[in-house]
Amino acid sequence: MKLTRRDLFVWGAGAAAGLAFTPVPWKLLDDTSIWSQNWPWIPQPTRGPVDVKQSFCTLCPRGCAVKIRMAGGWPVGVAGVSANPLTHGALCPLGFGAHQLNWHPKRLRAVRHNGVPSSWDAARSAFVKACTQGPVVIIDGYPGRAASQVFETFTEKRGAYVIALNPETRALSPYEHWTGVPATVLGYDLENAKTIVSFGAPLLDGWGIPGRFTRLWAERAAGIRDPELRLIDIEDSLSHTAAKASKWVSVKTGSEGALAAAVARILIEERLVAAQGPVPRLTLAEASDQTGLTIDAMRDLARMIAAKPPAVVIGNDENPGVAGLNVVLGAVGARGGIVRRSKRSKSYASTDALLANAGAVLVDSSVPWDVVPKTDAECFRFAAWDGGSGRADWLLPAPGFLEELTDVPAAPTSGFETYGIAAQLTKPIHEVQSASQFLASIDPALPTPEQLIHARCADLFKSRAGRVYAKEVRPVASLESAQKLEEQLSAGAIWIGDPPAPGGLKCELKEWPQGIATEPSRDWSATWPVPILPPLATKLYRESALREAPDRRTA
Amino acid sequence: MSRNSLVFGFGLATALLAGWLAFPRALYSKRQQPLVFLHKTHAEKSGLSDCGQCHAFRDDGQYAGLPSIDTCAGCHSDKIGTTAAEATLVDRYIKPGVATPWLTYSAQPANVWFSHAVHVKGAGLACTDCHGNYGESDQVRIYQVNRISGYSRDIWGHSMTRLRRAPGDGMKMSDCEDCHRRHKVEVGCLGCHE
Repeated sequence: MKLTRRDLFVWGAGAAAGLAFTPVPWKLLDDTSIWSQNWPWIPQPTRGPVDVKQSFCTLCPRGCAVKIRMAGGWPVGVAGVSANPLTHGALCPLGFGAHQLNWHPKRLRAVRHNGVPSSWDAARSAFVKACTQGPVVIIDGYPGRAASQVFETFTEKRGAYVIALNPETRALSPYEHWTGVPATVLGYDLENAKTIVSFGAPLLDGWGIPGRFTRLWAERAAGIRDPELRLIDIEDSLSHTAAKASKWVSVKTGSEGALAAAVARILIEERLVAAQGPVPRLTLAEASDQTGLTIDAMRDLARMIAAKPPAVVIGNDENPGVAGLNVVLGAVGARGGIVRRSKRSKSYASTDALLANAGAVLVDSSVPWDVVPKTDAECFRFAAWDGGSGRADWLLPAPGFLEELTDVPAAPTSGFETYGIAAQLTKPIHEVQSASQFLASIDPALPTPEQLIHARCADLFKSRAGRVYAKEVRPVASLESAQKLEEQLSAGAIWIGDPPAPGGLKCELKEWPQGIATEPSRDWSATWPVPILPPLATKLYRESALREAPDRRTA
Repeated sequence: MSRNSLVFGFGLATALLAGWLAFPRALYSKRQQPLVFLHKTHAEKSGLSDCGQCHAFRDDGQYAGLPSIDTCAGCHSDKIGTTAAEATLVDRYIKPGVATPWLTYSAQPANVWFSHAVHVKGAGLACTDCHGNYGESDQVRIYQVNRISGYSRDIWGHSMTRLRRAPGDGMKMSDCEDCHRRHKVEVGCLGCHE
């Protein structure tokens, strides 16, 4: 029998049909998909002893407590610390994926000068030369750290140290003008407030320390905490916060200041508060035109705010019109209002005024990428992740997540002092330097962050104030030595100072502040350091039960 | 029957034979463990009746995995008997203090986080629920490694179809999911993959 070409095709068709009834295609599909997970260029966690360390996230100034699962000395997982009294185990999506960020494709791996690869020596020489051209300005996005103190020391005789305020601290800056107390030491006593009025602040969607207000609100919803706590959200769109609030007041975009003035006028006129002034010039009719609310609706809102004191107003920006409402409510310096958490009184100049004559501008890696100094001076920007060469002359790779020792001062909006230490848990995977190390290589007389952290721990120990929250809670006064305190903090414990005494702030306004019409931020994640937000982490977080009240979690 | 049907049937039969008989043999390569270790002998002669006596949990609650060479040295610091395996154990591993390079049948991919403590101490699962009845094995199993994925055959299970498998045969994600479904324990993606 002669085999023909047709036979070959028919045989092939039979074989193909037969293969579908064997494990071959299905098993090959499974195995090749697993094989593709192990391609040599895909980073794999090291095989080795598994250990769990406790530390703090340093990706932003909120400093959330994190539990790091380490395998073979490398971080392979991040989770919140449920025993932490501030975060209660909550983390933002970025924090959950933080251990992956050191391998992010946008990781800055080498020094770059105007987009071209360069070297640390060249950067150092250029910085020294630029410093001779004029004063040096150092911009810090995370004030209060040991590194911040290094910056201040360096600039004492060479220029100026300025801070880039984050949105939450910016919202407190009107009180700095009125009280003389720096916005960086002001915070909110949310735990004791009964009525919280948000003027567009995303309280339930990333504002402040994750796990602080979200926890309060979830516990209230679950009936664990004060059921009288009320959240009134005032903004132009139905945000996540607006949807979950006790009441959402929809106003025209940019009319928040007008509504605040109208509410203040009603509170004073109807004697719903003790304050008798200042009475805003804006009439209710004018406010009604601007906000789109009826006068009756504004009256209802004012009565609702005054019904359950203490009430506190939280703005989304530095709108003094909104901030003025807290003065009328008597919330500044009062329990359940705006409090001064520290006695520190040093305030810092604004950036713009100092940049004009600068010879060099150094931007710390803590400054978000959307802060671009407007200057002709040579700009040296430290960053762990590349946000674009167009935003600085020099891009200098900084340590990534847990790649350096740093301390963690109180978070913006915190109502009390806290202090923690984020130890270096992993080796940098590239040649990196922090801004403080870079400055120390130029001026060896500068103190190191390690020395400053020792000194801070010694001060805390000497003060005998506050408590240390480790596995057990211990008053500082009961610790044996400053070294013991530092050991505990380095292992992930947090020091929490005594609550501030009420009345530490005095604020009186002679006339109602002029409000500013601002475009509210529609995307709270835009306030985070770009360019990193792992999409998988975000999706998992949103779809998981992590944001539910503790007693509703299923796993 | 037409010629075409015959040829088609021949092709079909060839594929079926190759797919069911030759493919499984070709897919897995066989490797020997570095030592002849018999669970049953140890259970009978040494009175080691509980898995946890060698496969212990550390003080911090984490599973320590395979026993270290020090554990073996507790009894085998000198040769017990005259077998070749005993000589290998003592001369090659115990005396120089080198860990025995066991081939782990149940090794999972690096992106899987599995807590023995949660499953054994928390949920009360028996070792045999996932690993089968190794404690009674009286011979060393051949370690079969998948030539494509690089993982042990125990992960897929010994049945190519994964139908009518014995309990503990197979450790794929779907097996974890099935067990969780049976026990009504919900775990999100982050529970096992970080």
